[in-house]
Amino acid sequence: MESQTAIEVAIDVKNLTHTVSSKTGDLTILKGIDLEIKEGESVAIVGASGSGKSTLLGLLAGLDINTQGDIALYGHSLTTLNEEKRALLRGQYVGFIFQSFHLLPSLDALENVMLPAELKGDKMARQKALQLLEKVGLSNRLTHYPRQLSGGEQQRVAIARAFASEPKILFADEPTGNLDEENGQIIIKLLFELNQSEGTTLVMVTHDNHLATQCDRQLVMSSGRLHDSSQDNRKDPVL
Amino acid sequence: MNFAWRFMRKEMRSTDVVTLLVALVISIGTVTAISLFIDRLRLSFEQESASLLAADRVVRSDQVIPPSWRQKAESLKLSVAERASFSTMVFANDKLQLSQVSAVTNSYPLKGRFLIDSKLFGQGIKSSKSPKPGFIWISSRLASLLGVTIGQTVEVGDKTLTVSKYLVLDPGASSSAFSISPRAIMNKADLAATNVIIPGSRVRYSLLVAGETSSLNALQTWLAPKLTDGQRWITPKQRGERIGETINRAESFLLLAGTLAVVLSGVAMALASSRYVKRHLMQVAVLKTLGATPKALSRLFLLQLLFLFVIGALLGLAFGWIVQNMIAALLSSLVTTALPEPEFWKMWLGVATGLISLVTFCLPLMRRLIRISPLSVLQPSARVEQRSVILYLIGFAGMYGLMCLYTQGVMLPTVMMVAMAGIGLVVSLLGWVMFRFGRSMTSGATSGWQIGLAALYRRLVPNLFQLLVFTLIIMLGLVLVCIKTSLIADWQKQLPADAPNHYLFNVQANQIAPISQVARTSKITSSSWYPMVRGRITEVNGEQVSKLYPDDKPEPELFERAMNLTWADQVGEGNKVVAGDFSANGLSVEEKVAKEAGLKLGDKLTINIGGVFHTLPITSLRFVDWSSMRPNFYVIVPKSVLNDSPANYVSSYFVKPSQAQAFYQAMSQFPTVSILNVGDILRQIQSIIAQLSQAVQLVLVCILAAGGLVLLASVRSTLEERMEEGALLRVLGARGALVRQALIIEFACLGLFAGCIAAMGAEASLYGVQVYVFNAEPGWHPMLWLLGPSAGVLLITTVGVFASRTVLKVPPMHLLRGI
Repeated sequence: MESQTAIEVAIDVKNLTHTVSSKTGDLTILKGIDLEIKEGESVAIVGASGSGKSTLLGLLAGLDINTQGDIALYGHSLTTLNEEKRALLRGQYVGFIFQSFHLLPSLDALENVMLPAELKGDKMARQKALQLLEKVGLSNRLTHYPRQLSGGEQQRVAIARAFASEPKILFADEPTGNLDEENGQIIIKLLFELNQSEGTTLVMVTHDNHLATQCDRQLVMSSGRLHDSSQDNRKDPVL
Repeated sequence: MNFAWRFMRKEMRSTDVVTLLVALVISIGTVTAISLFIDRLRLSFEQESASLLAADRVVRSDQVIPPSWRQKAESLKLSVAERASFSTMVFANDKLQLSQVSAVTNSYPLKGRFLIDSKLFGQGIKSSKSPKPGFIWISSRLASLLGVTIGQTVEVGDKTLTVSKYLVLDPGASSSAFSISPRAIMNKADLAATNVIIPGSRVRYSLLVAGETSSLNALQTWLAPKLTDGQRWITPKQRGERIGETINRAESFLLLAGTLAVVLSGVAMALASSRYVKRHLMQVAVLKTLGATPKALSRLFLLQLLFLFVIGALLGLAFGWIVQNMIAALLSSLVTTALPEPEFWKMWLGVATGLISLVTFCLPLMRRLIRISPLSVLQPSARVEQRSVILYLIGFAGMYGLMCLYTQGVMLPTVMMVAMAGIGLVVSLLGWVMFRFGRSMTSGATSGWQIGLAALYRRLVPNLFQLLVFTLIIMLGLVLVCIKTSLIADWQKQLPADAPNHYLFNVQANQIAPISQVARTSKITSSSWYPMVRGRITEVNGEQVSKLYPDDKPEPELFERAMNLTWADQVGEGNKVVAGDFSANGLSVEEKVAKEAGLKLGDKLTINIGGVFHTLPITSLRFVDWSSMRPNFYVIVPKSVLNDSPANYVSSYFVKPSQAQAFYQAMSQFPTVSILNVGDILRQIQSIIAQLSQAVQLVLVCILAAGGLVLLASVRSTLEERMEEGALLRVLGARGALVRQALIIEFACLGLFAGCIAAMGAEASLYGVQVYVFNAEPGWHPMLWLLGPSAGVLLITTVGVFASRTVLKVPPMHLLRGI
């Protein structure tokens, strides 16, 4: 028990509610969510389209401000920060992998991977990027631009980029959603290997049950509420 | 920082950034070219202004200056010189040329220097001495027109003079920058022998004085009560102010024309920025997720804009420098002196233009980019949208500010903006009707026509905007071409075939009979002889004109200066009495000038004719057919009043080209008579218009380039949509040729519509010029209706198809994958 309590809480969510305005009136997307994710843990958020998964991911990563409740990353409350400070916090703690890869088209593979480290002012950005591209098996594609790479290769560059800033938490939004099965498998393998070796906390939104089951925990979003499906098999619920 | 530079370097190659840069270069270049050229004109005048009057003060008079004035000046220990300027014929080698001749005393100029040269069209060497008696200095233009060189002789009236130098600049000559008649300077001692000055001749006499300010003031005080209406005491400041005003007006006009290029460039910048922002929204959102702060991003894009501005400014200034040199070269033969090099600091206006354009057209869009929510990476609906109307309004507010800066006022820019909005509304309405009509003619998507015409209507707003831009450009081009090539020819065509084409003036009463004999012998048709005296209206109904129109109130043409008057007992040819009775022993006034001056039948005018004041009522108003090419007068005095006054006579002749040589030869026995060949004058005007319009064409080319950029940027802003459509059509089985055909039809129709509306607009503008400027019958210009649409189709199709070539090149699979 003692070793368990020593593990730091990476993400701490208390009574999170999020409401947006729409033409038909206010719409509550997330309803009173409480969640704690420990450092090094991997969590999959699953659920139907429109259930609020991406909204939750965005709020956890500090991409938007919640309307009620509190979210803290490593003890830093996001709710009270402005966009400038949240961006700094993201740069310090957070990495991203997106469904549509979102590489910068005017930069080549190496430059794309160097980007987050450079934004942090890391002088070793280039070396780190080279190593990461080597790890994802693209050391022969350094000077290729995104449009010259296949979907699978682009996502591998995106993974390398996500780890380049040595994030403590990695958010992934449907990382295999735009890939065929074979490439999807490669990406999943890479993602978990790197997550393991870097000791990163992983929060992933996915439709892919197979991918979800590889995570430590599976949370199901439904009608704005979160349900821990892995809790049913656990003795000590975390949620 | 590393990332910033790398990002910028890569972005510099993208079409949007290149478009933005080119627009910036055109904008800065156009304004720089205009302001530098005007600066050179101004500098040239400023350099002359030191010797602007060739004296410290000048008394100018349209009558001979009394000798007592000169004596008074000399008694005050002032240096004195005299000068008489007049238009007369100069003869040499059987050729004759109407010239502007000045006869000056030995002491002229008191201030400043002549520029003279021994080489034809030389730059000139300074000289403080005037020509000696028996000699004449003639301008290089006069020398080449007459075919004489230094050492040969010319005749001025009855006097033969030897050409000793080519005149480059006369320090005291008025409006020395542009002149139609070539100039000559002779010694005043020879003037009497020429016999060209006879009663009623139009001569400008000047008494020039220089010396201590106290003496000058004393002379001014002494002279003030003696000065009559036709006489003025002139200081260098007054003179400089008048020239300065003319240049300021020219500058405002050219800059306003250039504004069109600036506005279009601004729009191209906004379109390019808008596409840039669209392309980068997601990238900025990604950068934000990676930890880039809004401050860092603002710095990044500001740095990029600044870098772009510096490059654009450097290229634009270089471009402007080249264009202003081209304008100066095109106008070199109209400008009598070599223009000084422009001052570098005058480039600020171009730089300010670029900066304001960039700030007002691009910055608001960039702000939108910075404000993108990082959440939009996950949810595209989270993007911050700003109404583009507001963005364009900010841009146009910037342009309005620039126009105010150019014209140093608010009135002209406001009128121009309102006019532009009005034109925009009319063109949009016409365009909408045309697009709608095109759309209603087709349905389905099986031919290029159907797809192309449907596309025109679907992208209504950008297409209407392009229509407006190109209509304006084509219209300007058409008006310019027409003014250059056919306006004067059109006017000439409307004259009767035997309309007089030569004016004879400065004819003395005893010369009328022999000249009429010459005409009869040569079978030349002549019109009546009219006596002519100079007179000035000084009072209206007993009130002085100078009190009715103080300095700040513009005078009607009738009161502005001394005019030519005639006397007659019957209405002349081409005149018709429209009110009152001509034979009632009163004045007969031309109806239009009477209306302008607010005069009516019965009003009493006091006219100063040769120092004698005549007060007479207006008893008739006349319509005058000015295109009759006969001597016409604003005011006709009853014959009984001036019957025996000394006068010179004027008449007009129709001389066939075949008779011209013999007629000139026969007239050489009357050297004091001036012959004005209307054909020559028209040719000179035409050549000046041609040169000026070439210079304006350079500005038009800048406007056209900016318009091309707008089209390019505008097509590119809809490129993604076009590519998707093209790809879908191709996936559904349409051949590349069909997609290409649809594109060509879309742009060709846009060009055709723009060309037709432009032809309409140009025809309307020319109608105005014909009716109101030339007082001529308006006529159609079939060339416009041919040239406008064909230029429109060619221009827009070429640029449009070029800008959307990617639609045809990229494989459909690539496009459907979502590039």
